[in-house]
Amino acid sequence: MKSMIPALVIGLACLSASVSSARADAARGKEIYTKVGCYQCHGYDGQGGNTGPRLAPEPMELDALKTFIRNASATAMPPYSANLVSDGDVADIHAYLASVRKPPAGKDIPLLNNP
Amino acid sequence: MDEGKPAVSRRNFLAAAAASGAAVVATPPGAGQAAAQGAAGLAKSAPTSAPSHAQMEAEIGKPIKVAATMAEPGGRPGSDYMVDVLRALDIDYVATNPASSCRGLHESINNYAMNKKPELLTAMHEEVATAMAHGYAKVSGKPMGLLFHGTVGIQHAVMAFYNAWCDRVPMLVMSGNHIDAAHRPPGIPTTHAAQDPLSIVRDFTKWDDQPGSLQAAVESMMRAHKIAMTPPYGPVCISLDAHLQEGSAPASQIRIPKMTKVSPAQGNSEDVRDAARMLVAAQNPVIVVDRAARTHKFQGLLVELAELLGAGVVDQLGRQNFPSRHPLNQTSRARGVAAAADVLLGLELNDFWGIVNSYSDVAEPKQGRRAKEGAKLISINSRDLFLKANYQDFQRFQDVDLAMAADAEATLPALIEAVKSAMTPEARAAAAKRGAALGSAVAKQVERLIGVDATYAWDASPISTARLSAELWAVIKNEDWALVSRDVRLSNWPHRLWNFDKPYQYIGDSGGAGQGYGMGAAIGAALAHREHGRFVVNLQGDGDLMYGPGALWSAVHHKIPLMTVMHNNRAYHQEVMHVQRVGNWRDRGVERAHIGTTIENPHVDFATLARSMGMQGIGPIADPAELGPALRRAAQIVKAGEPVMVDVVSQPR
Repeated sequence: MKSMIPALVIGLACLSASVSSARADAARGKEIYTKVGCYQCHGYDGQGGNTGPRLAPEPMELDALKTFIRNASATAMPPYSANLVSDGDVADIHAYLASVRKPPAGKDIPLLNNP
Repeated sequence: MDEGKPAVSRRNFLAAAAASGAAVVATPPGAGQAAAQGAAGLAKSAPTSAPSHAQMEAEIGKPIKVAATMAEPGGRPGSDYMVDVLRALDIDYVATNPASSCRGLHESINNYAMNKKPELLTAMHEEVATAMAHGYAKVSGKPMGLLFHGTVGIQHAVMAFYNAWCDRVPMLVMSGNHIDAAHRPPGIPTTHAAQDPLSIVRDFTKWDDQPGSLQAAVESMMRAHKIAMTPPYGPVCISLDAHLQEGSAPASQIRIPKMTKVSPAQGNSEDVRDAARMLVAAQNPVIVVDRAARTHKFQGLLVELAELLGAGVVDQLGRQNFPSRHPLNQTSRARGVAAAADVLLGLELNDFWGIVNSYSDVAEPKQGRRAKEGAKLISINSRDLFLKANYQDFQRFQDVDLAMAADAEATLPALIEAVKSAMTPEARAAAAKRGAALGSAVAKQVERLIGVDATYAWDASPISTARLSAELWAVIKNEDWALVSRDVRLSNWPHRLWNFDKPYQYIGDSGGAGQGYGMGAAIGAALAHREHGRFVVNLQGDGDLMYGPGALWSAVHHKIPLMTVMHNNRAYHQEVMHVQRVGNWRDRGVERAHIGTTIENPHVDFATLARSMGMQGIGPIADPAELGPALRRAAQIVKAGEPVMVDVVSQPR
């Protein structure tokens, strides 16, 4: 029974993700991203660091993101239940991450070509 | 007195005594007796026929400046001998926050040493002073003296001692006391007196003493220094009672022992040979290193050993152990490299268990072996020579296959020779091939880190830690620079982007992770760098500085050139993440994680804070386009010999 619960959660998350993504709001997603503390480990722009991997730009698929958020208990990341971040919130966060502008290539940044 | 000369008249004698201010004949009740008794036969008691202070004033008709304790005619103040010891120990600086129980030694440094060797450094908190000594020792390789009030002064310094203990840093702490209850001044000096004043630090200092005579005091200081400077290094404390400082003794009765350097322990030859054989026979040897570099020689030794073996090196960054861009530096791939090793050599590791095993800080913590099953473990660690029970900084016990209770740096030359002897042509070829593969793997990773990862959030505000580090590198890379703070809170971007190749360019962190270390340690380290003319950078945490912002004043007052770049993420950010984690585990969310963890409402204006203490302050800088010019301006200030603060509103990590 215990092992069925994560699978059920994942399944429900995947089902609702496609519904939410249709009306995702990047601006609201940015607010939620900050409010629920994603920035603390992943940075305000989702760039990542030694406390959490990069999330943006070009984030993982929404379904995968949602699955990870809900079931992150095996990693250093604390899990977010639907009670804390709704499926709609996750979709908006995803929209925000997808909206983050792609940076210039490293070779085009003089400071990163500075041995 | 020369018996051939006529006796000095009473009036002339009194006038002369008053004019000189010498405390030769009278003391307030109690204090003089304490001095005489405390000197334990070295300073004779004052003549019983001596007139009182009041009698003297009445006779000459004006106030007389009289020291609180007596100095025997022909004798020297006790604290002058203490200065002699400090000089014999080659102590250049004594950091202090002034206090009555230390006034004797303080006065001797001012007026006998003329504030030269040692020179007093004024700190506004004992914790800051101790941090200054901490940073100084890691650059200079020798202890700074610290002079503190007994009881409350030591209590202020306690956390910083713990940092030094954990970080294996030598320092010579001298504190005052008034042990003699029958003669000490009443009121505050008695409130600050203690039977065993250093008991509070005994669990995390290598040694302490409260000598009962001046001769014992000078011997105790010598012994303390010897213990502090015998690996594993550590802080030592001497309670120098006021009666010893303020008493006196003829030079004929005090002998200052000579200082003798102690050879660090070296692994025995049989174990060294065994270790070499294991390493040479390994398919995938890996060296993990932490607080190993005691001197500038270590880095070259470790490079030689790693290159001989074709072994990857994982640097835990306790010191400047290994060049950051060396192809065998596998620190950025640490977890995977260590897990794949069949022989792991740990050099001065504080936590070998943490290398071999994993621990996940999740709701139901998980732990398990990370290292390959059957991997051979070799440890060379001076900490095995000296541990104490109470505080758990020695970390979890890790069983190993070969343990040398020895100093790694002292043992490496023999190990290198043993490896050379054990190497076969086949082993050399395998080492070369292995080394090339490791170099290639890390080169690809560095290419991705710099060419891709660093670019994310490049133009963001708050400023990304990668951008901050890159901007700073452009400013310092052509200088003879040194970083005097850890960069883990900047996601290690300096170690990813900068070329740390000189043995003095990095000094590790606090050791005990006690906040309030950063600014003081940076100042002490910069002081040690000053005589070499190096350009010193401190990446400073905002919360850490606010434990002891008075440190800024000390940097200005003592004219210590230092660029402090404030990593201002406006929070005790580690704690933000901790509160968030627990809130999520309990399904109660993070919306209140900021309570008690952030430094907002109001924001601290660090540039203004710096200016209030005479330091030039720049910022706050939140626009990345403004950062480069601000840093270049700051660099000019440092080159002019001054400290400067650049406040950078930054991403959390």
